[in-house]
Amino acid sequence: MRFGLDGDRVAFRDAARDLLARRCGPEVVRAAWSGPPDPRPWQGLTEMGVLSLMAPESSGGLGLDETFLAPVIEEAGWAGLPQPLTATALVAAPLGVADAMVATDLGGPLVPGAGYAEAFLMETGGGLRLYRRDEVDVEPVDTVDRARHCGRVRPTGPGAAVTADPAAAARAFDRGALGTAAELVGLARRMLDLAVGHVTERRQFGRPVGSFQAVKHQLAEARLQIHFAAPAVTYAAYALANRLEDASPSVSTAKWLAGRAAAVCGRAALQCHGAIGYTVEADLHLFLKRSWALTRTWGDGDHHADRVASALGL
Amino acid sequence: MKIVVCVKQIPDPADPGSLDPDTKTLKRDVKLIIDESDSYGVEMALQLVDAAGGGSVHLVSMVPNREVSGLRTALAMGADSATLISDEALAGSDALTTAKVLARAIERAEPDLVLAATESTDGYTGVVPAQVAELLGLPSVTFAKEVAVSGGTATVRRQTEAGYDLVECPLPALVSVTAGVVEPRYPSFRGIMAAKKKPVDQLGIADLGLEPGQVGWAGGGQEIVDVAAAPARESGEIVTDEGDAHERVVAFLDELKVL
Repeated sequence: MRFGLDGDRVAFRDAARDLLARRCGPEVVRAAWSGPPDPRPWQGLTEMGVLSLMAPESSGGLGLDETFLAPVIEEAGWAGLPQPLTATALVAAPLGVADAMVATDLGGPLVPGAGYAEAFLMETGGGLRLYRRDEVDVEPVDTVDRARHCGRVRPTGPGAAVTADPAAAARAFDRGALGTAAELVGLARRMLDLAVGHVTERRQFGRPVGSFQAVKHQLAEARLQIHFAAPAVTYAAYALANRLEDASPSVSTAKWLAGRAAAVCGRAALQCHGAIGYTVEADLHLFLKRSWALTRTWGDGDHHADRVASALGL
Repeated sequence: MKIVVCVKQIPDPADPGSLDPDTKTLKRDVKLIIDESDSYGVEMALQLVDAAGGGSVHLVSMVPNREVSGLRTALAMGADSATLISDEALAGSDALTTAKVLARAIERAEPDLVLAATESTDGYTGVVPAQVAELLGLPSVTFAKEVAVSGGTATVRRQTEAGYDLVECPLPALVSVTAGVVEPRYPSFRGIMAAKKKPVDQLGIADLGLEPGQVGWAGGGQEIVDVAAAPARESGEIVTDEGDAHERVVAFLDELKVL
């Protein structure tokens, strides 16, 4: 059996990759550290139909499922897109929340994108409510990845009920964890790409440093972790889309493996860049810090390992 | 208004290509994509049809192995239909043969306007658009940076070294557009899904009334006798500033006609 992406899924992913390659280069991620993010990548994704891919057809969406969106989100992870794509397209859109950039506290108390999101999907007593920007107080908080403009969000207005069903809220959490896992796989790939680029170019003793075993073995090991994580993400998307019984533990497996892949790739990339990797001028740090932040949100490694263990009855 | 756009599908320029040692031509058995220079023609055609308040955009492509992936990209952007000409006898076709094949296919579509890129990214002959126009007996306008159509007339701003020429010509006509003339749209997901259902008419040379002896290596006037690596770049000229460096830099850029 071949388990992978087919026709439209590949075409969607490639179209998003092409757009992000042109509109969301490292300079765009870097600029978001010191100001509002460039709106053009987000506009492009909106026009392309990424944000409404999972929105119901009745509200103008495509009504497609997680298996179409996860590969696109992986590309956003690769590009380091600052805006909350997972929260907007994968968590909120399937609940019928469309036409706005949505930030959420479902993944943790520090809300990514709080500085510039247009709406806030907040957990309230097991259900979910949606607040407009003028219905919340945002207290900005500096985090390791400043491009995302995190903040603590406190509702001050009434908001609108999105769902009172705890099961729907739990599925929304699983979708967020899935999207974050996909982003982490993309980030792992990006950091490995940067490392391979660097060690191919950088020469010592008359040859590229990547030709030394100590370097290439480390990078091969990092690549292996991506190959373990990526199919787990694809399966978790499939399990969620088809409401399979093992959907939640599959999401946890994916999130855990993706976090590990990003950690191994990040560490290898940092070391292979030499001292340059430690500087803020190196693009690597944009992606490294994003991966640190994402690994700890939407459930950290321990949280997801516990979920897998309890699903296995351990 | 009916517009035909010539679209070439080429190996991805981002991947290092390789030459077939037997034929000394580029290997094309890899995945093909739409030549980026043709995406400007597609975008221009879509905009012209919009401006005209209706019409259709038809693609014509000659390609080995019935490859359609590049065409699907253009159909996803919004083109309505396509003609694909693929035939084993076409292998080794030179520019003029390509033009003959395209001309026959374009003729069948009876367009008001034919758009093409100035040159392809993998072949760079830059002669096919003018040859197609000549074969079809159409006016040919090259290097267009702006195109407008009204009342059976095309008005074109034609890029020149000094600025642009304003050219008017009656339709039907063939116009080749330069890169960067418009910003090609990204295909939307809805467009990608719709593209699969759009008609792609697959033709061989017999459908176009051509014989195997008229096309390909047999019919071409070209013979590739040798292929050699491009000479290594020579070291540049070092200018020592004695107060006049800026003038020499300006003179150098002027010579390159980049100013």
